[in-house]
Amino acid sequence: MNFSRRNILQSASCGFGYLALQGLLGDQAQAASTGGLAPKIATHPARAKRVIFLCMSGGPAQLDTFDYKPQTGKKPHPGSVFSFRQHGDSGLQISELLPETARHADKLCVINGMHADTGIHAQSFLQLHTGDRLRVRPSLGSWVTYGLGTENQNLPGFISLNTSKSSIYSSAFLPSIYNGTPIGVNGENMTKATIANIASDHLPRSTRRRQLDFVQSLNRQHLEARPGDRKLDSVIESMELGFRMQSEAPGLLDISDETKETLERYRVGQQKESVGTCKVTDFGRQCLLARRFCEAGVRFIEVNHGSWDQHKNHRRDLTENCRVTDAPIAALLDDLEQRGLLDDTLVIWGGEFGRPGLTPGNGKNETGHNANGFTFWLAGGGVKSGYVHGKTDPTGARAVEGKVHFRDLHATILHMLGLPGNDLKYWHAGRDHRLTGPEGGKVETDLFA
Amino acid sequence: MNHTRNLFTLIIAAAVSNGALTTLRAEGPSREDVTFFENRIRPVLVKHCYECHTKDSDEVGGKLLLDTRDGLLKGGETGAALVSGKPGESLLIQALRWQDIQMPPEEPLPENIVNDFVKWIEKGAPDPRTANPAPKNENNPNEHELWSLNPVTNPDVPDVQNSEWTHDPIDRFVLARIEAAGLQPTDDAQPRTLIRRLHFDLIGLPPSFDDIQQFVAAYEHDQEMAVEQLVDSLLASPQFGERWGRHWLDVARYGESNGNDGLGRNPTFPHAWRYRDYVIDALNSDTPYNRFVTEQIAGDLLPSDSDEQRDRHLIATGFLAMAAKPAKAMNNNFDMDVVADQIDVVGRGIMGLSVACARCHDHKFDPVPMREYYAMAGIFTSTETMWGVAGHEKLTAPATSLHVLKAAPKALPPADFVETVILKESATGLPKKIPKSKWPAGTPLAMGVRDQGKPADAKINVKGDAKKLGEVVPRGFVSACGLEEPVSIPEKQSGRVELAQWLTRPDHPLTTRVIVNRVWQHLFGEGIVATPDDFGVYGARPTHPQLLDHLATRFVQDGWSIKRLIRAIVLSRTYQLSSSATEELLAKDSTNSLLTRHNRRRLDAESIRDAMLAASGQLDLQPADGSLIRHRDILVNLAGNLHEPSSKRSVYLCYLRSAPPPELAAFDLPDFISVTGKRNLSTIPGQALHLFNSPFVLNQATRLAERLADSSDDKSERAQLAFRQVLNRNATPEELDQALQLVRLTQAELNSENKAWASLAQALLATNEFRYVD
Repeated sequence: MNFSRRNILQSASCGFGYLALQGLLGDQAQAASTGGLAPKIATHPARAKRVIFLCMSGGPAQLDTFDYKPQTGKKPHPGSVFSFRQHGDSGLQISELLPETARHADKLCVINGMHADTGIHAQSFLQLHTGDRLRVRPSLGSWVTYGLGTENQNLPGFISLNTSKSSIYSSAFLPSIYNGTPIGVNGENMTKATIANIASDHLPRSTRRRQLDFVQSLNRQHLEARPGDRKLDSVIESMELGFRMQSEAPGLLDISDETKETLERYRVGQQKESVGTCKVTDFGRQCLLARRFCEAGVRFIEVNHGSWDQHKNHRRDLTENCRVTDAPIAALLDDLEQRGLLDDTLVIWGGEFGRPGLTPGNGKNETGHNANGFTFWLAGGGVKSGYVHGKTDPTGARAVEGKVHFRDLHATILHMLGLPGNDLKYWHAGRDHRLTGPEGGKVETDLFA
Repeated sequence: MNHTRNLFTLIIAAAVSNGALTTLRAEGPSREDVTFFENRIRPVLVKHCYECHTKDSDEVGGKLLLDTRDGLLKGGETGAALVSGKPGESLLIQALRWQDIQMPPEEPLPENIVNDFVKWIEKGAPDPRTANPAPKNENNPNEHELWSLNPVTNPDVPDVQNSEWTHDPIDRFVLARIEAAGLQPTDDAQPRTLIRRLHFDLIGLPPSFDDIQQFVAAYEHDQEMAVEQLVDSLLASPQFGERWGRHWLDVARYGESNGNDGLGRNPTFPHAWRYRDYVIDALNSDTPYNRFVTEQIAGDLLPSDSDEQRDRHLIATGFLAMAAKPAKAMNNNFDMDVVADQIDVVGRGIMGLSVACARCHDHKFDPVPMREYYAMAGIFTSTETMWGVAGHEKLTAPATSLHVLKAAPKALPPADFVETVILKESATGLPKKIPKSKWPAGTPLAMGVRDQGKPADAKINVKGDAKKLGEVVPRGFVSACGLEEPVSIPEKQSGRVELAQWLTRPDHPLTTRVIVNRVWQHLFGEGIVATPDDFGVYGARPTHPQLLDHLATRFVQDGWSIKRLIRAIVLSRTYQLSSSATEELLAKDSTNSLLTRHNRRRLDAESIRDAMLAASGQLDLQPADGSLIRHRDILVNLAGNLHEPSSKRSVYLCYLRSAPPPELAAFDLPDFISVTGKRNLSTIPGQALHLFNSPFVLNQATRLAERLADSSDDKSERAQLAFRQVLNRNATPEELDQALQLVRLTQAELNSENKAWASLAQALLATNEFRYVD
């Protein structure tokens, strides 16, 4: 099924991007009433309905977390410098730095053969999110929301917690309704991060609705005199979403109804000081918010922690990065499982690239970037569990088997959500665009349960 | 898409056409080959191989020398290191791949580096180290690979079929492209559209209802004269500098605090506002751009006739002192971090070139070798940067001196001023004693730079690490700009004067192109080069290269005058086009890269706020006297919200980094940490929430409602005034009915006339018509 919508877009009287998709699915009436975020039906059976992306920015060191590289010969060579142990029935190798995550070894699907095009942070980070290294293109979360809509019409379909610059969660040329909504900024404390101006009590709700109806009536007249301007369309939709968010978002952001035990498991508010590259981000609160948004039906939630770019003080900074993320991630997996959400929620862990290994005993404690071989893991959402896909060479320098590029990962994620990995397209500036770019990506069916 | 690969293909194709593939040429490698070698091969050899494989090495490994071309070809104990053109048979590649021999011994190099060596050997291993000096490109000896480094030309104005359509040579450059595509430009904008566009573009404020009525009448009488008069009066208005100064402040990454230092601390810059005022004044007095740049880079070294002028020059150097610095604590590279910011703001801000990438390695794709980074760095390491006391927190930054101004008046803190932010010793938790200022209270001070006591050339920082020093590099500039006259920097000076002279040479290929493109972008929403801060290999190519050069040439001929440049552009027919077009035109020029119409644009954060103040009647056009934080040397993060409501123009709000003014934050403010020539234009629900709930918007709605109540007892007249105030036009009868109905129902529900009218006022302020300019 081809999602290209050039003709329909051009002929659609109100021009909303989602109309084409809805039209193809015979659900146009519904689309017209609830806007671009209306839930849509997948093109093939979906393995997952929503995504939580645990984005570890800076390049996490795979050889000291999930890709175990012991010394093999007489001559010391780069490899793991922290100790590993097998966990669970699957016997997955996980580093001593991640004891809590290791409890979930039998849920993880580890991809050890990731590779990317560049070791430049900003470019690879952008490519991880959008498929493109250089230009502002729609983010993965925007594509997913564009393809599937979202389950809760009172919340954005795509939320990016503790995020960095806006190009990471931009919908670019997709309608703005698919833009990520940022909460908090990476590098700053997330403890109190919220959505600005989410509420005020100057008018009762019914009065506000009447006021907005008047605004939108003027906006539609304004648009009618400027046919084909999709930006103006997007603003109209965005105003509606903003209006609906006022009723639901404040409650979700307020975690005071969680038990003390839960807050403890997620380590909410427990990270007090930055250590080296590991900044105070209250990662626990982010993971807890991610669970709450997930339960509330948000389609794509990105959670950020960084920076894993521990050049100078590899051992100290990596230990700290692992320490502050380990328990919250484990708590999140526990809760998703316990609430029956893990079956149809795809959890993704990884960063823009990895790092070369240190050589034991040579006294060095500095690592650089390695885009030729690194690790992601997936969990839930119909992926194999307790499974390792692909491998790197004995020093971990490059992927040698089961290689997965970002575009392959993108195609795979879309496929798992029931979307056509290489055929989810959008017409813009004279051609069809897709997340997987001109090369296209390979759907890695080996990852599927 | 793999740009790197495309670039290689180009380089290899060029090499083939030059015959380089066949063998090592006697006449030496081509310019492309040298660039490749210098950027991709030599740094790797130096970093990973020279330790053991040069004639100076303590023990030459395997008797192989890699520091000369002959050494490579001759090889060592195991034979020739490379076979030209045959990477598969070259020992060097086998070693790099860790096959029989494993080099470098510590760990294999990344695949992309190995691939560089493969490509290099495929090309015949062109190696300039012992070759004769490299000749230029044989086909076109004067042409650089990167378009923006070729000299600015003065292209002939093209012929067009419909020459009557054109007002200015600008139009001919544009129309020629449109005609070549078999299209015609859209219609002219309606006069009421044009005046609104001109007002926002030139002064960042809406025209009043009466302004529009008068202009429309004058336009009907004599179109050309009406537009010229309007443009000249806007250019002469003091609000012009506030609008265009703000554009430059984005480039200058102007901020009133350091921003998060990485340890969560954020010290104020209490004197930064003087630089803001300097920029506004410079734009208002139309300081020639070459002079403007020179003052900001070397103002402290320029002669002055008066104390006022001296102050002005010193304040201008604040441009170099606004760095968002990472914390000093445990940061060996702190001083070089400051220098990196200075190189970046000069590199990308003035030249559109990301020189700063070459701090740790030769630039990956732009022609800036690491040596030249340190040639420029020497200028700034010879310069003392003065940011002040950094919130009295030496872990964040050491306290520095400041410029003491002579003509500026003293300004004492108000009598009731009490500093509420108290720093505590981290060890004891006791309040820290604030060191006494070295100047009497109220002394006028400014951030800026001055020369170090002992200027000196800088040493290369290996991998950007200030503790690993390499060779000394004589101070200098970027050679790829092709301005090859020798630079002589006086022994006792930093070289900033010479840097400014070099940047503002009329034949500098980048400086003029970059600024005229910035101006164009602010008038059209999109630059001729879509990446205003990046004219490098990965930046966008100009849509109208000849027009860009025409404008750059004209700019210099017109005395580097920003106002004259703006005037010429806005008087062009191209600028005055409508933003609407036929379906055919929209389809055939879908991105408007041919400029067949004007671009519809959303107002930026400042204009949205200013226009709301104008609509509510609250706007105070008096410039601010200083800043909210002018007496506060504190850590912002300990202070909570420092922002206070204000009716001044937005440019005078307090631009604290990491804590921007909440009245502006929803609409894509940059972070003010690095050069931002082009802001994002996002549409997110947070903007709707701002319009629904922010105290600022609610306050403007209430003020406007009060004004409406004072104006008339007649509800229709009141509603009509609301439309005139906010949308600068009369309501249609249908709109008037809707508005009155909204007021009536709301009043019935809330039993409050004021709230009902405020609800209408807020609604109008929230419309797209208010925020978008055609």
